[in-house]
Parts: sequence; structure tokens; C-alpha cells
Amino acid sequence: MDPAFKRRLETRFRGVLLGPVHQRHDETEIRVGPGDVSAVMRALHDEPTFRFEFLSDVCGVDTGVVMQVVYHLWSETTADWLRVIADGLSRDDPRVPSLTPLWPGAEWMEREAYDMFGITFEGNRDLRRIYMPPDYMAFPLRKDFYLPDDAARSPGAGVRHVEQSHAPVNADPSVTVRTARGA
Amino acid sequence: MVTHSRQPSADDPRVLLDQEIGVFEPVPPYPPRTEREAEFYTLGDGEMFVNMGPQHPSTHGVLRIVLKLNGEQVVDLDPVLGYLHRGVEKICENSDYHHIVNQLDPLEYISSLFMEWPYVQAAEKLLDLEVPRRAEYIRVLSGELNRIASHALFMGWFALDLGGLTPILWSFIERDEIVEMLGALTGARMLFNYFRIGGVNGDLNHEFMSRLGSWMSRAATQIEANTKLLNENEIFVRRARGLGRMDREMALRMCVTGPNLRATGVPFDVRRAHPYSIYPELDFDVPTRTEGDSLARYLLRVDEVKQSLRIIDQCLHQMPDGPIMARIPRLIRPRPGRAYGAVESPRGQYTMYMISDGTDQPFRLRIHDPSFVHLGSVGRLVPGNLVADTMAIMASLDPVMGGVDK
Repeated sequence: MDPAFKRRLETRFRGVLLGPVHQRHDETEIRVGPGDVSAVMRALHDEPTFRFEFLSDVCGVDTGVVMQVVYHLWSETTADWLRVIADGLSRDDPRVPSLTPLWPGAEWMEREAYDMFGITFEGNRDLRRIYMPPDYMAFPLRKDFYLPDDAARSPGAGVRHVEQSHAPVNADPSVTVRTARGA
Repeated sequence: MVTHSRQPSADDPRVLLDQEIGVFEPVPPYPPRTEREAEFYTLGDGEMFVNMGPQHPSTHGVLRIVLKLNGEQVVDLDPVLGYLHRGVEKICENSDYHHIVNQLDPLEYISSLFMEWPYVQAAEKLLDLEVPRRAEYIRVLSGELNRIASHALFMGWFALDLGGLTPILWSFIERDEIVEMLGALTGARMLFNYFRIGGVNGDLNHEFMSRLGSWMSRAATQIEANTKLLNENEIFVRRARGLGRMDREMALRMCVTGPNLRATGVPFDVRRAHPYSIYPELDFDVPTRTEGDSLARYLLRVDEVKQSLRIIDQCLHQMPDGPIMARIPRLIRPRPGRAYGAVESPRGQYTMYMISDGTDQPFRLRIHDPSFVHLGSVGRLVPGNLVADTMAIMASLDPVMGGVDK
């Protein structure tokens, strides 16, 4: 824990932070609204007292109530990991500004968060699905997406992959027998 | 197997081929979704698409790359991922804390221990758990062995992608010694499932120690001999020098970590920059290079192997006695909270972000794989080079597709 770093964050980002700066083990955590993400990240990256040059991770989180985008940063000015949580994104249309102007390497991580959670990163010029097929409709890591054993409750129910190589389970058994020429 | 927009005639000889092995049309059969996709799939004058993969011998896994070529020169490329996507993060959200270690192994099938490590680290942070020192030493010892095995394989692969067949045969000798050794320690040669929340699964045994002892006595000279094969090979050096050059600024902006970042001159190593386990007590250097090209990335890994040997030597001399597991319950229910674990793997920085909601399953487990990020920078390194250099540049970044697709 780095109490001096906590004080610096509190002074610099007074009025922007949602709630107090949280510290545990070697992590410092701040929460900001989605509208402030760009300004806060640019300040953390550019200002000589912070100098967060490393973007360690970008990921989405679905709390079941709201969506979050979580950034982890590293800087040589502090011994802590800095976790910035963009909190309170609506689950119907989660939107947050993209970090690609600062870190072009965030492009794929944002694509992944879009693919898994449906979070729109405004300004990312290549925001398309990265793992799931292009005609896939659901967002698998959302909390209302259930695993296949109870897929009937899921928005993904009935959605099939483009390149599915086997027939559905309830198909006529004669169809599911695989031959040398495929199913 | 594959859906096509193209309707071939019945007497087209390619029909049979299509049905049996599947032929991928480079241009997707749907309208572009983003401006970047539209730009990429528009051919300029004299340009053409070539599809590489998903089952291509040198893509290091199941990866498809669509290349846009002008003659033999790559103009642009578009990696298509997802062929290995299993939704591990979702599976982990639905497994209990002890089971997850097993799910994580196949993500990093070259050096599995480094995928288990950030996970147990994050879980131990959530539980405020003190890990016995002997367990930490065993983790470092086995981890560094695994790092050498991974780097040895990298050297062979990289040479193979540059057209040299011999080094991979040599590097497999080294690697095989180490995986057999780790097999004696953990019970498995590749997917170890060895680290536990609070310690490790088994103590050092006689077979492991005797294998390690005999290997350590000749490891340094043998690795020296293997690398001599390449380091002084004029064809290799001239080919790799200047290939896929990345400067410091670009590496930082592309979120590159690990040897690929250190090859550009940034001395960032999680073991030193954000110390964990017993690394603060160990004496080793963080080698860096400034060229940032493929040759530098290769040579840097050679240097890292030497440092790993130093670490192993110190571990063996300082290994304390004591328990190898902390006392932890069978069913883990951490208090609600968030934790972040990060380790330095042979590929870069593996990190995991874990959220607990107080139940026996994590609410969210984010797995961050450096291979994924490095592959994202291939699109900036390759254009301007020849087709044959595409794979060489990719190999020099050393991605593992299991973690890229998760």
C-alpha cells in the first residue's frame, strides 16, 4: 500500500472520483464515471507525478446491475498497481470512450470486451467481434447468459455458429452419423 | 463444414475438396462491420488477398491470417481469431476455486505454471493467505525451469520459421529433459496442475532432484552449444537483423510486455518492477537490448535463460525446510473483494483480475494473456515485409494460441 499515492490521487482527481480511494495489499483502486475516463487516463499517462506508461489490462465486468470497464495500470512512481474502474455503465447500452488514442494496443482488449459484454468503446475504429462468429447475437460473459445446460433461459439459446460442424443434438440420429465426407 | 456464398457448378473439381477439408474465402460473405474492416477488404491497384491458416504449420496454433499482398510484399494483414475459443473465463465463473487451476493449464500449454501462478496469487490476496516459504521457493524453482523449457522451444521454432530445421531438434533435447524433470515433480509433462492456493501440490522428490542435479551440471555448456548454432550462423543473423523492428515508444503504446518489450530497451520485468514471491531475495539481472528487432528478441531470450539458471542455482542453495501448503479449507469462500495477480512469464506479463462475491466460485475471473496483445501488434510490424517474413516476425514474438483464444 502506498498512502502517499492515495493522497496524490485524492488531491488531483477531487470531484471526479466516485467514492473513496480504496487500497488493499499492493493495489490502489479508484472509481470514475464513464464520461471522465478519457480525461483521467490522459492525466495519469501524461502528468509527471503519475507517468502511467503501462496499460496492463482492460476488461469488462458485468455486476448484474451495471456494467464496468476495469483498467489496470503500472507506473514507476508508485509500488502499487492502479485499478481504474469505469463504473455505472447501463446494461442496456454500455458506452465508454476508447483508450486507443493513448494506447493503440488496447484495441484488441476492447474488441474482446465488446465481444464478451457488448460494451461499445467510442473511438475504437475496429470494434467488431474477435472470438465469436460475426453472426453471433449474444454476449457470453454477461450474467444473464447461462451455460448450455440451462441455455433455454439464455439470450444465446438457439443461436448457432456459422461454422458448426455437427448437427444439433435433437436432430435425427441418421444425420449425426459422421462419414468421411463430413456430417 | 464451411458455409459459402459461392455456388460452384457440379462439375467443378474443387467441390470435393471444399467438402472434405474446407476452403476459406478470404473475403467475408457479409458487409463490413467497421471502417477498418471496410478499408482492409478493399483491394487497391495490383493487390490481392492470400489466406493463411487456420491450419497452417507455422501459425503456432489455430490462427487464420488474411494477408493483403502487393506482389510478394505484405501491404496489410488481418488476424482472425476464435478457432480455439472455449470460453474459459465463463467456465471459471462456474467452477469452484480449487478446480480452476486445472482449467487454466491448457491456456498456456508451453509453460503452464505461469498461467497457474497469477491465479493462485490473486486468490491468496483475496484470502490474505501467507504462503510457506518452501512453497514459494519450489514455485520459483519449477517456474524458472519452465521458463528455460519455453525459451528453448522458442529458439527452435524461431529458427524453423526462418527455414532452419536443425535447431528445433537440438532444442527439443533440452526441453525434453526439463519436462521429464517437471513430470517427476508434478506428475504431468505439460499440463502440470501443480500450484495450489496456499502452496504447491507435492514436495521435491528424489527423482526430480537427481534429474535436476545431472542436468544442471551440464546445462550451461549445452545451452551455449545450442545457441552457438544460431548466434554465429550468418544466414540466420542476416535474416533476423532488422526484421520486425519495434521501438520503445511503440512497444509501450502497443501494451507489449516481457522479452519483446525488454528487447526495445525498457527494463520492465514484473519480477523486479512489481516484486512477488521470493524474487526480491534473489540475485539476478534483467537483460535488455536496444535494437528491438527479431534478432534482439531472440538474443534477449538467450540471456534470460542464463539468468534463470542463476536463479535455479540460488533456489537450490537457499531452499528452506518446512511445510509446502498453508492451512486452507476444502471449500474456499473468500470475503467479497477484488484482487489482481501478475507474474512475469516467458512470454510477458500474465495477469488475472478476480472478483469474489463471497461464494465458492469467483464472480469474475479475467485472464490477460500477453500473446493476445503481442499478436495485436503483428498488424503494425509486418506490413512492408515479405510473405516469408510474416511468420518469422510472428514467431519472434512467441505467441501461444491457447491463451490468445482462451
